[in-house]
Amino acid sequence: MREIVLQTKQLTKRYKSFTALDQADMTVNRGDIYGLIGRNGAGKTTIMKIITGLTEATEGEYSLFGQNGKAADKRKIGCLIENPAFFGNMTAYQNLRYYCLQKGITDLKQIDDALELVQLQEARNKKFRKFSLGMKQRFGIAFAMLDNPDLIILDEPINGLDPIGISELRETFHKLNQERGVTLVISSHILSELYAVANRFLFIDKGKALKEVTKQELDLECSRCLVVKTDDTQMAATILENSLHITNYKVIDNGEIRIYDENAKPDVISLTLVQQDVRLLGLYESGVSLEDYFKQLVEEESK
Amino acid sequence: MINMMKADLYRITKTKGFYIFWILIVLTYLLNIATKDFGGVKFGGGPSLIPEGIKMDIGSVAMNFNFYFFSIIPVFGIIIAEFSEHTIKNTITSAISKQKYFFSKYAFTLLYAVTAFLFSNYAFYFVNRIVNGTEYCSSLSDFSVAFFRQLPLMIAIFSLFIGLAFLLRKGALFNAVTIITPIVYTSASVTLYTIETTQKLAEKLLNYDINTMLSRLALECSDEYRRNCYCISAAVIVLSFVIGYFSFTKRELN
Repeated sequence: MREIVLQTKQLTKRYKSFTALDQADMTVNRGDIYGLIGRNGAGKTTIMKIITGLTEATEGEYSLFGQNGKAADKRKIGCLIENPAFFGNMTAYQNLRYYCLQKGITDLKQIDDALELVQLQEARNKKFRKFSLGMKQRFGIAFAMLDNPDLIILDEPINGLDPIGISELRETFHKLNQERGVTLVISSHILSELYAVANRFLFIDKGKALKEVTKQELDLECSRCLVVKTDDTQMAATILENSLHITNYKVIDNGEIRIYDENAKPDVISLTLVQQDVRLLGLYESGVSLEDYFKQLVEEESK
Repeated sequence: MINMMKADLYRITKTKGFYIFWILIVLTYLLNIATKDFGGVKFGGGPSLIPEGIKMDIGSVAMNFNFYFFSIIPVFGIIIAEFSEHTIKNTITSAISKQKYFFSKYAFTLLYAVTAFLFSNYAFYFVNRIVNGTEYCSSLSDFSVAFFRQLPLMIAIFSLFIGLAFLLRKGALFNAVTIITPIVYTSASVTLYTIETTQKLAEKLLNYDINTMLSRLALECSDEYRRNCYCISAAVIVLSFVIGYFSFTKRELN
């Protein structure tokens, strides 16, 4: 079992009568690229602000590296919350040097390494206020990587980046994750981008954590399939396997089976199940886009 | 905390404010030395308190109200800049807690301002002694006594600015409050003085405006007056520390 790097339990944040975060649970394992997906104002930044100590939870608790979150060593964490903010009158190098001094980092080579990783080595002596939006985002990531943290938390890191910048950043995330073993928590409201980089996801809306899924589970839930609705899934599954030789299926709950076999024919399945006295309540094709899947989750929650 | 202070020292030398602060101090004292006369910002009863025949260096110490305005600059550069540039979140999220951040900033800003106050006054003393000779210069002990009597009040002023910086957080608001407050205080006191029924209160208020306190502490004053000034200073230090600490640690960071 993998080490849990970050875990929240019933994390809640209220601002007077407004609940920004409502009993959110999440678990991030070492080596994950964990995607927080939600609309603007869903509560993604609030979770990150609590975890990084920018604000305090009204209720609930969180742990970092197995320790109580408030007592955890912050030097193991690199963060970029909301917009990248640095001293405009200082160069990229001077800004990072300032934070190196704060963190007690004596190996100043790390500054150039971090700048190189985000392709900003040529802007080393350029003042931060002269950076483009994309450069600022990348510089924020360079800052988050100082001192080789075990966990990097990035809030909407692809905001303002052009397509090439997004693609480069994606590669950087994979490189950090695979080569350096860094665990990443990334929030975004752009589903497709987060899907391309993360391996686990938390869907969040109106402060509520809707669902935590792995990429495989998400693929399974979104991929094209035949949905069989019946009141006897056990019997139906046996028939699918024994009579129709279909093995690529999943029993979702007591009333639903999803068949992912591309060769499965609805008319044959329907006839076979009925002939063997299985009450068929519905049979239809399914398969949703990420956006539709998210919409479904939101709709289910609001019912 | 030491790391934070090192970082602040590194950063402050990269700001324009650092150079403006020192240029203003050097210019003020050079002007005093060149004209062989003390000068500075005057509100309330300050100037009239400096008796005839007082040596120029002690007179300059009595006019240390200049430092009230000078010390706005380092507080702005060290604390307010972090709020206005939103860089504070970088430190809180990945270096230290809000509590440690406050203590570190408070200690560094106070240390820096006090060091600047001590250094600039002594530098002025020695340069004045070399340039103008003993005719315009008191003994080192007389100068030190005059000057150290002001120190508790100066620390209170620095502490007040730090507390206000953490409370107000916005550059324009901080500047407005710190610059306008002594003017408003003096104007209000003078207005009260014109009303017969509030004359006694106005006298007390004028006696304890910052300019007057600094002047009288440096020159001769009664033990009771000095004690009252130090009590006010202690109260300001404690209050500004508590208000700054709680307003910073309990309020949300944007």
